[in-house]
Amino acid sequence: MIGWLRHQKHALTSALRRLARQPVSTLLTALAMGVAISLPSGLYLGLDNLSRLAGELPAQPEISVFLDPAASGADKQAIATRLKRPDIAQARFVPKDDALAALSVSQDLADISAGLAENPLPDAWVVQPRTRSREALARVADELGKLPGVAETHLDSQWAERLQAALTIGHTGVWLLAGLFAIALVAISGNAIRAQVLARRDEIQVSRLIGATDRYIRRPFLYLGALQGLLGGLAAGGVLAAAGTLLRPQVERLAGLYGSAFHLAPPSTSEIAVVLGLTTLFGWLGAWLSVTRTLHQVEATR
Amino acid sequence: MISFSQVTKRYPGGHEALNSVTLVIEQGELVFLTGHSGAGKSTLLKLIAAIERPTSGVVSVSGQNISRLSRRAVPYLRRNIGLVFQDHKLLFDRSVIENVVLPLDIAGFDRREALKRARAVIDKVGLLNREKANPVSLSGGEQQRLCIARALVSRPALLLADEPTGNLDAGYAADIMAMFRDFHQVGTTLVIATHDDRALNALGGRILHLDHGKVGEVTA
Repeated sequence: MIGWLRHQKHALTSALRRLARQPVSTLLTALAMGVAISLPSGLYLGLDNLSRLAGELPAQPEISVFLDPAASGADKQAIATRLKRPDIAQARFVPKDDALAALSVSQDLADISAGLAENPLPDAWVVQPRTRSREALARVADELGKLPGVAETHLDSQWAERLQAALTIGHTGVWLLAGLFAIALVAISGNAIRAQVLARRDEIQVSRLIGATDRYIRRPFLYLGALQGLLGGLAAGGVLAAAGTLLRPQVERLAGLYGSAFHLAPPSTSEIAVVLGLTTLFGWLGAWLSVTRTLHQVEATR
Repeated sequence: MISFSQVTKRYPGGHEALNSVTLVIEQGELVFLTGHSGAGKSTLLKLIAAIERPTSGVVSVSGQNISRLSRRAVPYLRRNIGLVFQDHKLLFDRSVIENVVLPLDIAGFDRREALKRARAVIDKVGLLNREKANPVSLSGGEQQRLCIARALVSRPALLLADEPTGNLDAGYAADIMAMFRDFHQVGTTLVIATHDDRALNALGGRILHLDHGKVGEVTA
């Protein structure tokens, strides 16, 4: 056990020393990996932010039913009764005063609404039908629109639904891309390690002759691959941080123009940990494949 | 300690390096292998260290059948064998002491203990003042002594040397042979391949003569 730990420590320090001895090629490999990893993780972050934006909007399709300001009490009663029927999941009455108050808070229009002589907004119902299919929704909206006392109906959140569908495709795309770049990562790591193995051919052969096991020979290269992967992950983090710094003020300005307090959220600690863990793992995997293959070659050409 | 029984080694391409060799080397013996180059001396040493496998016949070292030895077991066999090469096989990317420490690192020794042992062995071969030097800066004789130090640092019961004095002038060669005599006297089994008659006469010991893959005993 102590011997094993000693071997691990020895392999780790020798891998670190090797990385430090060739700073330029270490840096270049890390950059190549970093760029490769930053594409899927950047896309992931972008989608994450987009779905946060979409999440603030109703994902459930809703119908807004605006009442005619001149509607009679009986009409309103009839509408309320209609909305209790089983095809409606939920219906919420929004009095016009509440609507104005919400508007002035969310859009920062308090000064404008204060200047109004009277509330221009109508009373409204926000209705969630039980159905989700587009035709059925349109039918319900149409039916509600024909009730006496209803000025207008508006089928909301169709676009939110579409956005959700697009985001789902986007997420699948991220995973596909991540899979492809994981392969690229294994290839980059494998190639870098192969060069290392060939450069240290003599040492490997001599070590074999004086009783080194395959594991002993392989170990420093595996650490090398893992460390290289970790550096690649850190480089990707650097690339994304730089991109985030560039984009943040522009996104916030755009959101501000739409009256939203939306801002770019950085990745969470656990997301960073997962990315670094995965790049380390794939760096290690590339090294393992490459060392195993190259060692067989070294042996064959003894 | 070592026994060959009807051992034949044929290389790919048909060259037959050893032909039906049978011999026994006891523990603590000092054995010289002689013969012209290409007579099979190196092949015989390689078979003992499991660097090559016999085409037919049985090679047994410390009771282990080399032909049946699994790949995984080979390193552990080699840790009990010190190897001295004619071309030294030193590593020029590290210092003298790091070269000597390597077998102990491989065997999983504590670093401090390993350095202590390495220093003792380097002292024994007379290179203590060159401990931090790069092996490139050593003379041929010094490089050979360094190779011997590396072979001995793990205190093997068996030392195999392939032309250890091959490229050295007489003074250095005598030094190295004297060192071998010392190891023989403390009980190490030595098998030395050489065509250097000076060595044979200086040390005595048993002589096996190889000729075209056949082995014959020579009485001095």
